[in-house]
Amino acid sequence: MRLLLLLLLMVLFTSACDNYPRDADKTLEKIKKGTLLVGYTENPPWVVKTKAEPTGLEAELIKKFAKTQDAKIVWVNDTEQDLFEQLEKRKLHLVIGGFTDKNTWKTKISFTRPYVKQQKEKHVMAVLKGENALIVALESFLHQQKSSLNALPASYEAN
Amino acid sequence: MKPIEKFEFPAELVPLFQKAKRLEWLTLVYLAITIVVMVATMGNSQAMKTAWFEDMLSMTPSIAFLISARIIAKPANKEFPYGYHKAVSIAYLCSSLALFTVGSFLVIDSSLTLIEGDRPTIGTVVIFGHQIWLGYLMMIALVWGSVPAVFLGKAKLPLAKKLHSKNLYTDAEMQKADWMTGFAAILGITGIGMGWWWADAAAAAIISLDIIHDGYKNLKQSLFDLIDQVPKTVDNQKTDPIINHIEDFLKQKPWVKEAEIRLREDGHIYFGEAFVVPVSPDNLTAYVEATSKEIENMHWHLHEFIITLVSNLPQPEEK
Repeated sequence: MRLLLLLLLMVLFTSACDNYPRDADKTLEKIKKGTLLVGYTENPPWVVKTKAEPTGLEAELIKKFAKTQDAKIVWVNDTEQDLFEQLEKRKLHLVIGGFTDKNTWKTKISFTRPYVKQQKEKHVMAVLKGENALIVALESFLHQQKSSLNALPASYEAN
Repeated sequence: MKPIEKFEFPAELVPLFQKAKRLEWLTLVYLAITIVVMVATMGNSQAMKTAWFEDMLSMTPSIAFLISARIIAKPANKEFPYGYHKAVSIAYLCSSLALFTVGSFLVIDSSLTLIEGDRPTIGTVVIFGHQIWLGYLMMIALVWGSVPAVFLGKAKLPLAKKLHSKNLYTDAEMQKADWMTGFAAILGITGIGMGWWWADAAAAAIISLDIIHDGYKNLKQSLFDLIDQVPKTVDNQKTDPIINHIEDFLKQKPWVKEAEIRLREDGHIYFGEAFVVPVSPDNLTAYVEATSKEIENMHWHLHEFIITLVSNLPQPEEK
């Protein structure tokens, strides 16, 4: 019983801390006012490759997210396979490309909570594993965008 | 063929047995709810999956207890002249194997997580429009999965000793495993939130050693019981002192010259026989019947105690 009380106190204490949950590698702290390494693979309307930086629904979302963190984005274009391998080796912070929650890589890397549902497909983004502050920040951002997001895919489709 | 009288517990223990059965039903309901709650909150956390798997397996002792409670109630018959008491030993084997498996699974799983450097990611969920970190929900689920287990285990221990039910005792130890893994997982998730990705697996690995120890101890004992080891006490698994007591009792009888006994445990009932060298051949039938009655009255464990008359005690085989 004493152990139980001690545990509960500990949990309450740690949870009361400001920046909780935290990252294993302090990734979010590094991204803030620093650089966000984003891998992308073309998959319209989610990600559209152009001569300059990519556009598309997800690319625009990430640009907005980077702004909230005061971060500069470094874009890396590659195939899905290579991008996920680099994410696994922790060389990228996140990867976009219109992935759904049925993606077979889900055991090896982490995906965000589905942020938009379209034609019964739940769309997710891939994030560096074990970085809880980063994923919470990204999911919170995506959640705030929710109202505008639901209308978005249709308008992109029309283009 | 002489059938063995239907007997389970003496009148004063029957309410305790009923209480044990009620506790086991309660445990099953509680575990079923826990399993659903866990699935709802587990996300992609390995720690939660482990705790969930542990909860699934920890239903085994309760199920084994309830099934065996039904089987042993059957009276002995021509096909099963010794009755169905051994069902209890089989239930005990199932329970201890489950406990051992939980421990082994935990140690392998958590070591692999540590070796592979697998970093658990815990994201957020939205409940009633509020976005919260899933880790908090997991902690609540784990508190639900741990705290009642403490009380269930504590309620079962004294019953197990009084009913001489090793299965129930193993079940109480399973509940200990439940709350220990639960608390370890809470610590682990708190650790993950602090950015210590290894915390959760490390906590699980330490806890699993204790569970393996309990599981191994009981698994060994359940196998020994099935190969008719002398009766052992429920809690510390020492040879039951009643064996010496019966032997002394027999040797003090005026009609007994020499005596040796042999006992085995069938569930919570002891069966056994005494080999007695009588002083004289007079009046033996009456002596044998009276003395077996007296011995059977010593303790409710003792049932069907047979006295066999011999002219010499069998000597241990010499090498």
